[in-house]
Amino acid sequence: MNKNTAYVLTEEGERYLKEGLPEVQLAKALRKSTPMKNAQKKIDNFNIALQWAKKNGWVKIEKGNLILVNVPDTIPELDWLKKVSEGKRLTEKERKVLLSRKLIEKKSDISHEAEKFIGKHITSLTPALIKTGLWKKVKLKPYNVSAAGKQIYPGKRQPYNQFLMQVRQKLVELGFREMTGPLIELEFWNFDALYQAQDHPSRDWTQTYTLKYPKSGTLPARKITERVKAAHENGWKTGSTGWGYSWSHEKAGQLMPRAHDTAISPRYLSGHSGKIEIPGKYFNIVRCFRPDIIDATHGVEFNQTGGFVVAEDLNFRSLLGLLKQFAVEIAGAEKVRFYSDYYPFTEPSVQVSAKHPDMGWVELAGAGIFRTELTEPLGIKQPVIAWGFGIDRLAMYKLGISDIRYLFSQNLEWLRNQPIVR
Amino acid sequence: MPTIEISHRDLCGLVGKNMSIEEIKDAILYAKGEVDEHSGDLIKIDIKDTNRPDLWSVEGIAREIKGRLVSGCLPKYEVKKSGIVVEIDKRLKDIRPCTVCAVVKGLDIDEDVLSQMIQLQEKVSLTFGRNRREVAIGVYDLHKIKPPIKFTTTKPDGIRFIPLEFRNRMTPKQILKKHPKGKEFSHLLDGCPEYPIFIDSAGEVLSMPPIINSDHTGKVGRLTKDLFIECSGFNLKFLMPALNVMLAALADRGGKIESVDVVYPDRKIVTPDLEPRQFTIDTGYANSVTGLGLSPKQMCRLLEKARYDVKKCGRKIKLLYPAYRQDIMHQRDVIEDILISYGYNNIEPIVPMLATIGDQGEKEKFANAVTELMIGMGFQEILSYILTSRKTLFEKMEIPEEKVVEIENVVSSNWCVFRNSLLPGLMEFLSRNKHIEYPQMVFETGDVVLLDEKAETKTKDVRKLAAVSCSSTTGYEEISGVFNALMKNLGVAYELKRAQSPGLIKSRTANIIVNGKIVGKIGEVHPKVLNNWKIDMPVAAFEIDLEKIMKV
Repeated sequence: MNKNTAYVLTEEGERYLKEGLPEVQLAKALRKSTPMKNAQKKIDNFNIALQWAKKNGWVKIEKGNLILVNVPDTIPELDWLKKVSEGKRLTEKERKVLLSRKLIEKKSDISHEAEKFIGKHITSLTPALIKTGLWKKVKLKPYNVSAAGKQIYPGKRQPYNQFLMQVRQKLVELGFREMTGPLIELEFWNFDALYQAQDHPSRDWTQTYTLKYPKSGTLPARKITERVKAAHENGWKTGSTGWGYSWSHEKAGQLMPRAHDTAISPRYLSGHSGKIEIPGKYFNIVRCFRPDIIDATHGVEFNQTGGFVVAEDLNFRSLLGLLKQFAVEIAGAEKVRFYSDYYPFTEPSVQVSAKHPDMGWVELAGAGIFRTELTEPLGIKQPVIAWGFGIDRLAMYKLGISDIRYLFSQNLEWLRNQPIVR
Repeated sequence: MPTIEISHRDLCGLVGKNMSIEEIKDAILYAKGEVDEHSGDLIKIDIKDTNRPDLWSVEGIAREIKGRLVSGCLPKYEVKKSGIVVEIDKRLKDIRPCTVCAVVKGLDIDEDVLSQMIQLQEKVSLTFGRNRREVAIGVYDLHKIKPPIKFTTTKPDGIRFIPLEFRNRMTPKQILKKHPKGKEFSHLLDGCPEYPIFIDSAGEVLSMPPIINSDHTGKVGRLTKDLFIECSGFNLKFLMPALNVMLAALADRGGKIESVDVVYPDRKIVTPDLEPRQFTIDTGYANSVTGLGLSPKQMCRLLEKARYDVKKCGRKIKLLYPAYRQDIMHQRDVIEDILISYGYNNIEPIVPMLATIGDQGEKEKFANAVTELMIGMGFQEILSYILTSRKTLFEKMEIPEEKVVEIENVVSSNWCVFRNSLLPGLMEFLSRNKHIEYPQMVFETGDVVLLDEKAETKTKDVRKLAAVSCSSTTGYEEISGVFNALMKNLGVAYELKRAQSPGLIKSRTANIIVNGKIVGKIGEVHPKVLNNWKIDMPVAAFEIDLEKIMKV
């Protein structure tokens, strides 16, 4: 053992030196005979006190009563504690007792080291300086408190993903339930169930991706496909003329990367992918694919947000009301303006632009009432309002970017330095 | 969505009302259009309706605006007989069997008329005519043609003629090879033993549809007064409306329409057919859709503005609509015209009050919890494309090729297959950020697409999580510490069992096992893979199927 090893009081030792040993406190607090329950309430460290008072023969326990046998005259441990606090040496026996009671501990070598700094200017406050109290005897060098601290890159959400989360949260707050659908989709759900004719230009290969593998999937129940077929060919029972051509099962069964989020709606309306409630409000935020050349305004992949509202008595005025609510709640718009529009699957159709306090007028959403040729073959008699957001522009504004490619940024430095979306 | 260019002055002239650009911006909504940009007299307009070719020229737009702002009624077209006959050869049966034709006389073709006519012809054949496959339109100077006209065929090295804008006579085959339009559209004649041709009684070629007109008859200019127009294709359903759209525009320019006898091998038809079409709507149903509570009389007035002829019959309205429209299939199509006449911005919106409970998807909720934990451990979330390449998925990762979902009409070799795991995307990310401060710790949660013979789409989407730690001191111990913390905080018990996995270092790789099933892998990335990606730092990684631990 190092000759220089000295001992210091532990926190407990310091306290006993100041307040007295617990067994002494106990002995002083007791009358001749005290019920255990009452004795327990007398002092804080009852268990420690009882253990040592018994060991010293000061007390004994009889029939649940604590009996005071003997009151100590002198308390040697108190003297020993005093010696340690004054830096005096203890005998081997004294040290053993105090160590066993964890009232003293070895003064570390580091605290010896710390003594070297007495009276000097130092840079760092160390645990040794704090513990030994030597901090009182050193001088701390002043820091430049205006300087930027250490560079830290916290773990963060990807900003575009964070924005989409916020939109998702908002829609949930507005009472919308989330839907999901497959990335690889049947043409049937992507087009046919939405009453898009099989020879419509929007189904041309230049507008959507086609697959080399796998080629085709399984059409839904006959009841659904046959009604959709009839709606395309002659309008079925919807009062429509239909598109007037011969509908092909084979074409509808082909697989394709989902080209728009609306593909999910007929899956739910028909009950094929999940039950819906009427009245009901549904949404989705999903990845879609189109064969564009990637540039500042186009991507091969993009997220679309959309959905539908189904209820008795919905009409064009309620459609406009819903869009206005979206504009205010999601885009923080002050004013809205409606434009006539066209989508193959809605009639009437509308586009809404919103006046954002900073961005000015922004095209916000396209919407309409799903065509009867679409809803009735899927078994829905009530009007269905369909809506879809162009939220990428809003996302770009929130992220402070003008290039759409940054939504999927591969630049770590940018991601690290980009503030969170608020 | 066709974008067209028109003249501000010309539009006002046709409407019969002077309008500022701001007024036009409002009025264009009647034609489902939006002003894209304008400078001087030129206005660029996006027309939203891909099913209304009649709106793709200034004449059609003016017709809608005039109906609403000046005076509206059903446009009427008087059609006289021209006496011209077009005879169709039966050899066209499998090549390009149909045509419909008309004559327009007495035109004063100025710059406006000419540019709009050419633009309309292009847009109709491009969008409505499926890029000339279903509809190709030819316009000719009537006085350079000697009827009767034959629509027949020629051998690829048969009749030679001078194509538009060229100087020399060429064979059809030469035209397909050398003329810019020939090169652009030759695929439409692929596999045809003979090519379609319009030729007059003097043996002069009018055109070789759907490719090119002859320079002689197909050139139309200021001095042309009378036109011969034909549309060729496969189906009268497309050809008739296309022809009517062209004729309606020229009639608005003062042209007088005359019919042509088109003689098919088995029958004779007279074209064009500009007789108005009939339709009936129920006013009760109309109000249930609009929510406006309009009286039948009000509806009639709004429909007249939208160019319908109306007759009230109790609760119903009997309609006549112009023959250039082919988009009316259901009452809804007419009801939208009522709303457009009323003006969308004159309608008071009502927010539908529905007591529904919102909720997020289960996968999203779980992925969100996982993301929070990864962020808490100092990892940066990234977002990658789901489309990628075989090179990224397999070659660079030293993983043997597997069957994956593959794009047929590839735009770029970088985006041609669907990812089946997330780790390659993270490696690609690291390789792009070699100059950025280390340590780099990034992760992604996202869908991968796996093949599944039993699924209706032959595929299934699986939500995964992958994370990488990249620095000079990283290793298995570090990433397994992160992984352990993640699983502990998700409350999911797991085991790591030594395993081999291509692309990872053999002795430093484990399978992640939950409830006896392999749900992912963890390990140090093989230096060979690091070399492939030109990453100079060690990388430790894990990837796990979130759906397999979601319900544990």
